Amino acid sequence: MSPVLQMVVVILGVLVFATVLFWIWNKIQPSAQVSEMMLRTKSWWVMATIFVSAALVHPLISFAAFAFLSFVALRELASISKNARTVDRNVIFWAYLAIPVQYYFAYVGWHDAFIIFIPVFMFTLIPFLLVIQGHTQDIARSMSVIPTHLMLTVFSISHLAYLLSLPELKGFEVGGRGLLLFVVFLTEMNDVFQFTWGKLTGRHKIIEKVSPNKTWEGFIGGLLSTVAAAYFLRFLTPFSPIIALLCGLLIACSGFVGDIIVSAIKRDFGIKDTGTVIKGHGGILDRIDSLVISAPFFFYFVYLLYY
Amino acid sequence: MLGIKIYGKQNLKFQEQFIIVANHNSHLDTIALMSSLPHHLLIKTHPVATAQYFGRKKWLVWLSNLFVNTVLIQRKEDVEIDPEALQHMDSSKALALLEKKLANGHSLIFFPEGTRGEPEKLHDFRKGIGVLLQRYPQIHYIPVFIRGTGKILPKGALFPIPFEASVRIGKPQLKNSNLVEEIVSEVRNSILLIELMNNYK
Repeated sequence: MSPVLQMVVVILGVLVFATVLFWIWNKIQPSAQVSEMMLRTKSWWVMATIFVSAALVHPLISFAAFAFLSFVALRELASISKNARTVDRNVIFWAYLAIPVQYYFAYVGWHDAFIIFIPVFMFTLIPFLLVIQGHTQDIARSMSVIPTHLMLTVFSISHLAYLLSLPELKGFEVGGRGLLLFVVFLTEMNDVFQFTWGKLTGRHKIIEKVSPNKTWEGFIGGLLSTVAAAYFLRFLTPFSPIIALLCGLLIACSGFVGDIIVSAIKRDFGIKDTGTVIKGHGGILDRIDSLVISAPFFFYFVYLLYY
Repeated sequence: MLGIKIYGKQNLKFQEQFIIVANHNSHLDTIALMSSLPHHLLIKTHPVATAQYFGRKKWLVWLSNLFVNTVLIQRKEDVEIDPEALQHMDSSKALALLEKKLANGHSLIFFPEGTRGEPEKLHDFRKGIGVLLQRYPQIHYIPVFIRGTGKILPKGALFPIPFEASVRIGKPQLKNSNLVEEIVSEVRNSILLIELMNNYK
């Protein structure tokens, strides 16, 4: 079996395991968090389908799927944001247009354009368009909020797609597909590990005001489990054992950071309160919060070391 | 793509005849509501629009009749109307027009705010809905709360931009009170209640 096919089997196994586990857990001891994890498993099935079809059929499916993911996430963020003004409507339209451009750069593998397009070009274009509109009241807030939305939803997620455009390395046949599976799988597993360890042993809160369910025990337990998982899954990557351990550490930490950043944003927008999510607003951001930071960090970790 | 989610579609299936009462933020409101109707009801359902806006030009009348079977009514305070467009309307008796539709067993979509207001704000209702329900006490009204469409396509905007929006369809209800004013506030409260229930679930 090729490594990618092995991974597909592993993922299906883990998904079936997680689905059954949370289903039983929910029967025995139902809680809001368990149903949240059940929702997560559901979205992993969708993600897994995308990866598997991309790995076995055509990579273009992945680019389209990730671009759509960015679109839905940006739409969600723009809709819940209380900071954007009604006059910013037309500018947000231009923000949407950045998605196909960014993913085109990822698809053709034009790395320089890919990394400067949003942080440099869109970062200038959006304030410029805002200025042309001429409403200066609260304009500074919109100037910072809209590019941040783009960074969190488009720039970060597009790094997952770019993994598929990385050139082939000698002695590393799995290529980008393996790296993509590695980072997404470990980031999501890290969430599950942190959740499970926190539930079982959690006592000491890390940042109660932002995310009341995060504990040091959960974080450390999740981190160690993720590092171990990274060690065993390194056949998907060009990593040596040491590098794989370091990478597990990086994914666990950056996943945690992304999680609490998105949590804090949602709390500010009044959508999240004491761990409950208003129905109909749970949305895509909750599903991809950890990937928002771990995707670019993992990408540059690999890119700088091997490409 | 536009991200309009519709909740409570099943509430539309109970009645053959009804009056949908919704808040109004955007032209999309009508389209979203009509798209959630099953086909056999769709052809018998008419959005109620003011002739002042949709009766301005002949082509607007034609367009709104072609796509959404609009009933144009003339409100008392509307004075300047394209006389040519007027010929396409039965009379200037607004309620008589609506009653004719109801008598034929058809349904109506009503926006009692009378115009597309500021997004997410429920303005005062006009009296028409009260009068109509007073005369037809056996017809159910269906309260609907629409949120977010005013962001996608606000008043005066030329093209829609994707944002998340929701259309929440409430349970069909019969009026309780007999006075026009009381019916109006009853209907208005039922719409507000949908939003409250959603926020504090």
